[in-house]
Amino acid sequence: MVVKEDDSVLLNDILANGLGINKQTLAAPVKNTVEKFQLVPEFLKVRGLVKQHLDSFNYFVRTQIKKIIQANDIITAKNDPSIYLRYEDVRIGEPSVTIDGVTEKLTPHMCRLSDITYAAPIYVNIEYSTGHGSTKMIQKKKDVIIGRMPIMLRSCFCILYGKDEEELAKYGECPLDPGGYFIIKGTEKVILIQEQLSKNRIIIDTDKKACVQASVTSSTEATKSKTVIRMEKGKIYLYLNQFSTKVPIMVVMKAMGMESDQEVVQMVGRDPRYSELLLPSIEDCSKEDVYTQHQALAFLEKKVKGSQYGTAVDKEGRALGIVRDIFLANIPVNQNNFRPKCIYVAVMLRRMMEAILNKDAVDDKDYVGNKRLELSGQLLSLLFEDLFKTMNEDVQKNIDMILSKPSRSSRFDISQHILKESITHGLERTLSTGNWNVKRFRMHRKGMTQVVARLSYIATLGYMTKITPQFEKSRKVSGPRALQPSQWGMMCPCDTPEGEACGLVKNLALMTHVTTDEDEIPLISLCYSLGVDDLELLSAEELHMPNSYLIVLNGFILGKHRRPHIFSNVMRKLRRAGKIGEFVSIFVNEKQRCVYIASDGGRVCRPLVIADSGVSRIKEHHMKELRDGVRTFDTFLKEGLIEYLDVNEENNALIALYEDNAKEGTTHIEIEPFTILGVCAGLIPYPHHNQSPRNTYQCAMGKQAMGNIAYNQLCRMDTLIYLLVYPQRPLLTTRTIELVNYDKLGAGQNATVAVMSYSGYDIEDAIVMNKSSLDRGFGRCIVMKKMSAVSQKYSNGTSDRIIRPEGGGPQNQILDDDGLASPGQIIRPNDIYINKQSPKDTRTPVTSPVLPDSAYTQSKQTYKGPEGETPVVDRVSLCSDRDNNICIKFMIRHTRRPEVGDKFSSRHGQKGVCGTIVQQEDFPFSERGICPDLIMNPHGFPSRMTVGKMIELLGGKAGVSCGRFHYGSAFGEPSGHADKVDAISETLVKHGFSYNGKDLIYSGITGEPLQAYIFMGPIYYQKLKHMVLDKMHARGNGPRVMMTRQPTEGRSRNGGLRVGEMERDCLIAYGASMLIYERLMISSDPFEVQVCRKCGLLGYYHYKLKTGICSTCKNGENMSTMKLPYACKLLFQELQSMNIIPRLKLTEA
Amino acid sequence: MDPQPEPVSYICGDCGQDNILKSGDVIQCRECGYRILYKKRTRRSNSFYSLVFSSSSSDFN
Repeated sequence: MVVKEDDSVLLNDILANGLGINKQTLAAPVKNTVEKFQLVPEFLKVRGLVKQHLDSFNYFVRTQIKKIIQANDIITAKNDPSIYLRYEDVRIGEPSVTIDGVTEKLTPHMCRLSDITYAAPIYVNIEYSTGHGSTKMIQKKKDVIIGRMPIMLRSCFCILYGKDEEELAKYGECPLDPGGYFIIKGTEKVILIQEQLSKNRIIIDTDKKACVQASVTSSTEATKSKTVIRMEKGKIYLYLNQFSTKVPIMVVMKAMGMESDQEVVQMVGRDPRYSELLLPSIEDCSKEDVYTQHQALAFLEKKVKGSQYGTAVDKEGRALGIVRDIFLANIPVNQNNFRPKCIYVAVMLRRMMEAILNKDAVDDKDYVGNKRLELSGQLLSLLFEDLFKTMNEDVQKNIDMILSKPSRSSRFDISQHILKESITHGLERTLSTGNWNVKRFRMHRKGMTQVVARLSYIATLGYMTKITPQFEKSRKVSGPRALQPSQWGMMCPCDTPEGEACGLVKNLALMTHVTTDEDEIPLISLCYSLGVDDLELLSAEELHMPNSYLIVLNGFILGKHRRPHIFSNVMRKLRRAGKIGEFVSIFVNEKQRCVYIASDGGRVCRPLVIADSGVSRIKEHHMKELRDGVRTFDTFLKEGLIEYLDVNEENNALIALYEDNAKEGTTHIEIEPFTILGVCAGLIPYPHHNQSPRNTYQCAMGKQAMGNIAYNQLCRMDTLIYLLVYPQRPLLTTRTIELVNYDKLGAGQNATVAVMSYSGYDIEDAIVMNKSSLDRGFGRCIVMKKMSAVSQKYSNGTSDRIIRPEGGGPQNQILDDDGLASPGQIIRPNDIYINKQSPKDTRTPVTSPVLPDSAYTQSKQTYKGPEGETPVVDRVSLCSDRDNNICIKFMIRHTRRPEVGDKFSSRHGQKGVCGTIVQQEDFPFSERGICPDLIMNPHGFPSRMTVGKMIELLGGKAGVSCGRFHYGSAFGEPSGHADKVDAISETLVKHGFSYNGKDLIYSGITGEPLQAYIFMGPIYYQKLKHMVLDKMHARGNGPRVMMTRQPTEGRSRNGGLRVGEMERDCLIAYGASMLIYERLMISSDPFEVQVCRKCGLLGYYHYKLKTGICSTCKNGENMSTMKLPYACKLLFQELQSMNIIPRLKLTEA
Repeated sequence: MDPQPEPVSYICGDCGQDNILKSGDVIQCRECGYRILYKKRTRRSNSFYSLVFSSSSSDFN
């Protein structure tokens, strides 16, 4: 490296003074704070916005899949164990597809366009035996395909992995697209991040009756179980699904060989308060006459569920088996050594008693440290394991069947029986439906995947960071919905939907990382070598000695340590030195007197700058090296300047927000405060000046804004694309905007806004728009819709045909000679866009596929759109689908200019519709001749308190006048990532504006100056996807539902407008009875009925006799004619069908 | 009906080569083997005037 000037000065300084003398100045805290912002883009460069998905998937395809194959690597024939098949290795190839025996490489964009799955073959190397009887040979085969694995875009097996912008463009891919999703049959699917309570951990909480309970959800490769120990009326019981009733806990302890009550008391702790709480349970046990292990097991045997059946052989050990394998399954029992399990139970009991004595010791279920995020890799590995096992079982069944046949003609080759389809289809089906039905793991979850909506770039990013909860939704408790303090920096405090899922669905913050599993074994041996006393060597008494802490690794008690703080410090130092994984967390819990070490997957963590007694480890020269490109984020990590902390370990840290705030005890310093927000909230300028719900509203609306979707947006063939014609980069940006590339794929335009009242068409958040601005292209958008058609091939050899249109009818206008609409043509309602004919008979086989014309029926497709639009056929693509049918897709483009009723929104949750459009001549203008694009009513401000919007206006105005983009990052003022109002005002004054952003405005109508100065300047406005054209609806007469004869429902069915209950109530209250009569009957479903006055039932009209006849009384004597809504008559009939007779009583009216 | 309709050529989505498809052909570029083809833009004149004057209802405000 070249020694720069500053360095050489420093060097000379050191040379002159010697190293020893300068120590004091070197040790003194740095005065000026180091600009650490540069770390954020560096972090995102290394980790990316969707790194959690990619990491998880990469871990699965690289490591987990090998483990799964290894665990189930052999298939042996039942009758002949010498016939076997062993999987030796597994790997995943390149994404490809095989069509007609030709294997072709796939690119993601090709998959999107031609509706195929972006998947790569799973190759295995196998070893197997062939031949008969004694002449058996062992053969090996390499690269046998067992199925196809859908590949996550940008993961390590994706062809886009590590490609630069140019190469991505060559593949037709947008370089800004984050990846992290799958392409299944042409649709982009993302596996949502699932949030759940952590497995294998003791959680203390209270149930509905305020009983304290300790629960552990055990999850190992072999079993999954839930163990609950609950204190009821002073006695402690075990609840386990395998036992039919609750079981006294002391019986279970005795069943595990802990026969001495004293030892149990010792294990729990000799504090008399604990023994007192335990006493009723001990008494309970002795009341049952259970004193020995044998008695306890006999007692439990009676409680085992379904003990009626089952063979006598295993009856001996059933209770023991349950206690060993299912009760607390996460604690292994080696060679019937129950001691670790006993100690674990004792620790659970102790924690329960602590919670009883001290309510603070109850765990918070909503605490983020008690949660785990399940990512696509984990979910896929569960699915794959199930499918792989099922496939092996099927293979086994198959070969057993073949081998059991007495005579086999051909040579038996086990490798021929590997099924390829089941895994491929299973994965594909699950990913496309989102229903995880894994029977083997008792998992039935729905809605795990979602289609990646390409409404806007931000919406796409938002899908990748979305976290959905797994527990039931409709609970009315506020706990899970409330903002958790532990969410700080991990999950965005703003970005959550409104309404039903409010607070339950969350989004990751900008710098969050989700861990993947890490190997425990080296950690265990490291712990022991660092002085952890093995549990085996400890007596019960020693377990809870003062001055010693339990060491718990991933929920498993390793032992105890006498000097926990030194131990944890050493562990942390080892982590910083890179000797153990960077995501291993070491958490000292003083209250529980435990050291928790976690290396499991699904923990959320984030990077922080390490500080030594308040002095940041990152110095200016580090940042300089970073700017010069000598350093990367990983070097910071490797050199122990930065580390990842998970939520638990954060509790052991004192984190200063800024370097200035650092005190003596500060251990960490935040990198940048704006990273506590997520992607969507990061777009808001000055969010810290807004009322918090406004930011939440903007997070929801930013996803509906129209703009650029991706660089390849015009090559995509999505069902619906909304595009803005002239999207702009926001004048007032934030750092997040630059980091997530919103400045490259914006979704809005900078509109000059005047905050004033104008006409009456701006009440209730309506916006008055300048007609000339609209002419210039403000808010102009493109709506593209896809229509597809398939030229089907049928089983009898016939196929659809697309032919040249006959004659030049008006409907055939846009068709070419090939019978398809040609791009560039204006398409009108009822225009044919594909002139297709289908064979009449698709069942009976035909000799030649060429049929006479008479054998075909028309099956042309016509465009059905609203009248008055002029959409254009944009593109027509042809491709073959998986069944080799020709698939034709038409993109229909429609360009729309804003009209009254279209929805717009600024970035501050201030949505409004266009109220009126006014000629520019009538618009107000400033002295300089500046005329606003839109006028916003000032009443929008006081109650909403969106001060950020006002500062945006000021900053934007200063920005356009001085030619510099201003910044408004969250909490950015102290660190210089947000311009201060003072500075902005100065700029404004310098350019001849008022400091407060108000201008002298002339009325456009009278030409007089307005009485007040008007707050005017540019604000970034988003056009939202809700447009009048898609919503407006009116009907006079129209279709009716067959059964009720009432008008249909909904705009798409040209339905009627309903006078609902509340409208009816209004009319009743007003007394407008005739109007109700008209709306509810005459204009709806009037029907004339014959009513029998005698029996009150409906009759019928006899057309020959010209009288009504009652079918019950069998005469027409007492008949009256009256009008009823048809639905009323239907109701009577339906009631009658249920054996309820409604009778009408008629009176003269 | 005309038994042999005039062939319509399509553009390959990858290399841009013109391809002529006949009924029953596999959809694939003859040059590069790419499997997605696009239709060419219409050659009929579709001028702005015809749009404005043929449909009197057009509203360009």
